[in-house]
Amino acid sequence: MKEEEPTSGNIIINGKDTTFLKKNRVPYLRRSMGIVFQDFRLLPDKTVYENVAFAMYIVKASPRHIRRQVPMVLSLVGLSGKAKMYPNELSGGEQQRVALARALVNNPSMLIADEPTGNLDPDTAWDIMMLLNEINMRGTTVIVATHAKDIVDRMKKRVIQINKGNIVRDDKKGGYDSEV
Amino acid sequence: MTVKYNVVSYLIGEGFRNVLKNKKSTISAITVMFLCMIIFGVFFILGENINHIMNTVEEAQGVQVYFKVGTKEERMKEVGEQIKNIDGVNNVQFVSKEEGMNELKESYKDNASALEGMSSDFLPDSYRVTLSKLELNEQIQEQITAIVGEDLDEIKSSNETISTIMKIGNGIRIFTFVLLIILILFAVVIISNTIKLTVHARRKEISIMKYVGATNSFIRGPFIVEGILIGLISALIAILIVGFIYNGMIPNLEQSEIVKKLEITFVTFTDMFRLLIAVYLVLGIGIGVIGSSISMRKYLEV
Repeated sequence: MKEEEPTSGNIIINGKDTTFLKKNRVPYLRRSMGIVFQDFRLLPDKTVYENVAFAMYIVKASPRHIRRQVPMVLSLVGLSGKAKMYPNELSGGEQQRVALARALVNNPSMLIADEPTGNLDPDTAWDIMMLLNEINMRGTTVIVATHAKDIVDRMKKRVIQINKGNIVRDDKKGGYDSEV
Repeated sequence: MTVKYNVVSYLIGEGFRNVLKNKKSTISAITVMFLCMIIFGVFFILGENINHIMNTVEEAQGVQVYFKVGTKEERMKEVGEQIKNIDGVNNVQFVSKEEGMNELKESYKDNASALEGMSSDFLPDSYRVTLSKLELNEQIQEQITAIVGEDLDEIKSSNETISTIMKIGNGIRIFTFVLLIILILFAVVIISNTIKLTVHARRKEISIMKYVGATNSFIRGPFIVEGILIGLISALIAILIVGFIYNGMIPNLEQSEIVKKLEITFVTFTDMFRLLIAVYLVLGIGIGVIGSSISMRKYLEV
């Protein structure tokens, strides 16, 4: 993301060391990954469709490509019927789906979700996690940062635990706390 | 092609949307901008006209070269040709002693009788040399002195008039230039403030755009379009107002007594209008771009 610099060590994304990435290359780095935030970060005066299409505008996609791609992603996240609604007309879970659709629309090789379920009730949160799982099945690397214990325990995925800025654990199929 | 068109239409569309959304601040910015431009325009027109008048006056200014009484005609012709070839000399006119006498009578008019019966023999023949490059005045006089040599009686020139004219001309040029700089700074601040309002209202949107991977130039685009629009609209209003006034004023001025007496001509409306349009468009677009770029700087650091 290049929002913060590492205090030590390097950040390597897709085999490229981003520690000394030039400022004007940062946007292109961000385009190679989809990002989902805890607070959704949707554009309030644009419809669901426009919010998703916006990410394609930025990469200068052709109008035809946009018209084809956006409905596809919206149906993937289950929002086909709400394309013309505005973010404030949607529930939290639906808003997060829009954010997911926006993150996915340019087919990134990696999806980073920063506390994607932090603002959602448990049922909706689980739906989102299932959606992330499905996206992962389709071949996209999904990284979720979270402190939702139940979700981590239920997903049984690779867990990397970080404590005070250091990696303390890396389990292939782990739960929230190391049981060792 | 379609790809380019898509992005361009997006940028321009967003720019127009910004202008329409903040009607109040846009209108006030346009008002202040075109007032600035009109003030500048008035001085610009004044300056251009004074320049124009100066050029005509400059052409009339010159050096009077008097020959000693009894200098041969062939010698004077030869000297005349040489003077004509000096760099910076506009025109060389021979004034014979008879013509000199007539001019003298003319200038005395009412008291012409005092000169009655006087022979023109005591007057010298002379050349009236006009200059195209006033600043070379002194050098040219030296060259003439060298050419005419011992046949020279006297060189007269309006040295003081010439240097006064040059001083006034330079003063006006400097004044218009300083005024231009001040008004540009003023207008840049106004535009950047107006756009800062839009930028501030949309700072969340901008940060989201940055997170999704928009380049700075892509984000800047609509705001620069907004700045250019404000600049262009102000320029158009200013052109119309100043042009209208100039068109109405010039014929009246040309009819007035003083102007007729001084034989002053003004820059024609078409010439002035062309100049004004060029200057205003450059100013409007330039100020728009600079103003909006300044207002964006802070918000692009995400």
